[in-house]
Amino acid sequence: MSNASIVLQRDRHLKWRAFDPLEWLLMVLCGIAIGGFSLSVLCDIVTRTIRHPWLWLQEATSIFFVYGSFIGMAVATRRADHLYLSAITDSLSGTKRTLAETFNRLVVLACGLLMVTFGYTNFLHGFGSFRMPSLTPLAWWYLCVPVSGFFICLFVVEQLVNGWRNGFEGQPRSETEKEFTI
Amino acid sequence: MSTTVEPGLIVFLMAFLFLFLGYLGVPVPFALASGVFVATTLTPISMQSMVGQLFNGLDSEALLAVPFFLLVGELMTSADVTRRMIVLAQTLVGHLRGGLAQVVTVFSMFFAGISGSSTADVAVLTKTIAPEMDREGYDLPFIAALIASAATIANLIPPSIMAVVYGATGSVSIAGLFLGGVAPGVFIGIGLMIFSFLFGPVGVRRARSSFGEFTEATKRAALPLIIPIIIMGGILTGWFTPTEAGMAAVAYIVLVVIPLLRPDHIKHLPRDFVHAGLLYSIPMAAVAGASAFGWMLAYLRGPDVVAGWIQHYAGTDGRTIMLLLAALFVIVGDFVDAVPAIIIFMPILLRLQELGNINSVHLGVVIVTTLAFGLITPPYGLTLLMASKFCNVPFSKALVRSLPLYVVFLSAILFTIFFPEIVLWLPKMLLPESVGCFKNPAGTGYICPQ
Repeated sequence: MSNASIVLQRDRHLKWRAFDPLEWLLMVLCGIAIGGFSLSVLCDIVTRTIRHPWLWLQEATSIFFVYGSFIGMAVATRRADHLYLSAITDSLSGTKRTLAETFNRLVVLACGLLMVTFGYTNFLHGFGSFRMPSLTPLAWWYLCVPVSGFFICLFVVEQLVNGWRNGFEGQPRSETEKEFTI
Repeated sequence: MSTTVEPGLIVFLMAFLFLFLGYLGVPVPFALASGVFVATTLTPISMQSMVGQLFNGLDSEALLAVPFFLLVGELMTSADVTRRMIVLAQTLVGHLRGGLAQVVTVFSMFFAGISGSSTADVAVLTKTIAPEMDREGYDLPFIAALIASAATIANLIPPSIMAVVYGATGSVSIAGLFLGGVAPGVFIGIGLMIFSFLFGPVGVRRARSSFGEFTEATKRAALPLIIPIIIMGGILTGWFTPTEAGMAAVAYIVLVVIPLLRPDHIKHLPRDFVHAGLLYSIPMAAVAGASAFGWMLAYLRGPDVVAGWIQHYAGTDGRTIMLLLAALFVIVGDFVDAVPAIIIFMPILLRLQELGNINSVHLGVVIVTTLAFGLITPPYGLTLLMASKFCNVPFSKALVRSLPLYVVFLSAILFTIFFPEIVLWLPKMLLPESVGCFKNPAGTGYICPQ
């Protein structure tokens, strides 16, 4: 899979090329996550059918699922692939547009920072609770929240800096479009 | 609850912030989370526990089914296997008045049995049938309106992602919801076909396909058409949970359908998985935000307040409660995506279900049908937005052409409310425990609540 095949080229003016490999990596991790939990659910069925269930598979499935979800949440922030109710901001231009886009991103940045700060606290507390049957600390599950928050903050800062430099206006985003430059 | 600010005011503030930020252009998960985080500062709840709630919302085994049903749709669309099903639909109904319009609806009913995603259905139909309909003289706004309306059937005929989310958050039998969704799904399908036949453009009249052509088309579409049998057969026989059934369908497509029908597509599978990996995380991010929102709403006793209002007008009559809920969800579905709407309102639904002594599967089917209608209503009619965009037609024109189709959906909603015996007939026949029936201790058969 080439870099160009999965890194979104839309809103190029809001992105640094240096972060493209990071988007590529996170996208691949999303693919690994869905592949991983597909495989673990398959193994779960097979081992159960042959009456030798591997109980830890359910934990593996769960960890793939939550990490895939939260990593996807972060990378969707860079790609503007999230669900949107509407984007009144897209119809604005000039200073109004800059102010509205900045405000929107500051809201996301605040959420990201809260996810990092309090997600990290949850991570530390998670060493006191365990998942059965492997007794793995829950902290390793909770870690996905601050990690996701960190990447969300990183991508929002990238968009803010580039938006202020190059302007936010570009191709209007669409909640429906999933562009892949093949 | 030791809070200095009135709970009702906090609920209002949360809702206002969500809608204001959402419509300003903040992504839905963050608009939801912002409302919750601001509300948290006004309550004794710690921010740490609310951030934890984002995680807890996703830590549900039943939600695992969502990525599988999205992956099934993604693989089928990307491998272009769906064309065979379109040809089969053409041999069945292509000769009728408005032949291609009929094909759109019949194909959507087939595709709904494979994928739980309306958006995948819109993507397939706008790429394949829409250009042909355009050539045959169907007007583009009608094409967009019909495709968007037919695509909503994916949320009713199993597997349905909305049903999975409803079942997972409300502890309702997902298999029961799947089976209960069949009746309104078929109702909408038939309704759209009747509408196209009577009021839609005529299109090009074709000769009826011969039995030989039908047999050939069925043979060519046989492999993909086994998928609904794997999914529902696996669930009904007790072999699979809905999650496992989704995985079995994915395994069948990857190991059987694509190697046999589109072997050249195998090299693209890693890309399909990467795409699907991102695709499932988008609704899951909304689930995380909505879970925290729903939790806070429940903490602030929002369900009691809304239940109080509805009880004031409906008393404890189940049907009136469902009518008012349908009216509420028609409005909610106009503004909010279905997945967060289900999660946010689940505490209210559970309260009212108890109040009206409503069967949980019945109420779930009513809500899912109503939210499916929300996919074609403005301003946030996701499938209509997509279809109008892909058909290159202004949303307003597609909206005008979809207005008469609303009659079909409103009739379907009323049908699900007033005919529970038909909606619940299939679950009672095939999976009686899913609707609260239990084995008769005196002999054979089941005893079901009235």
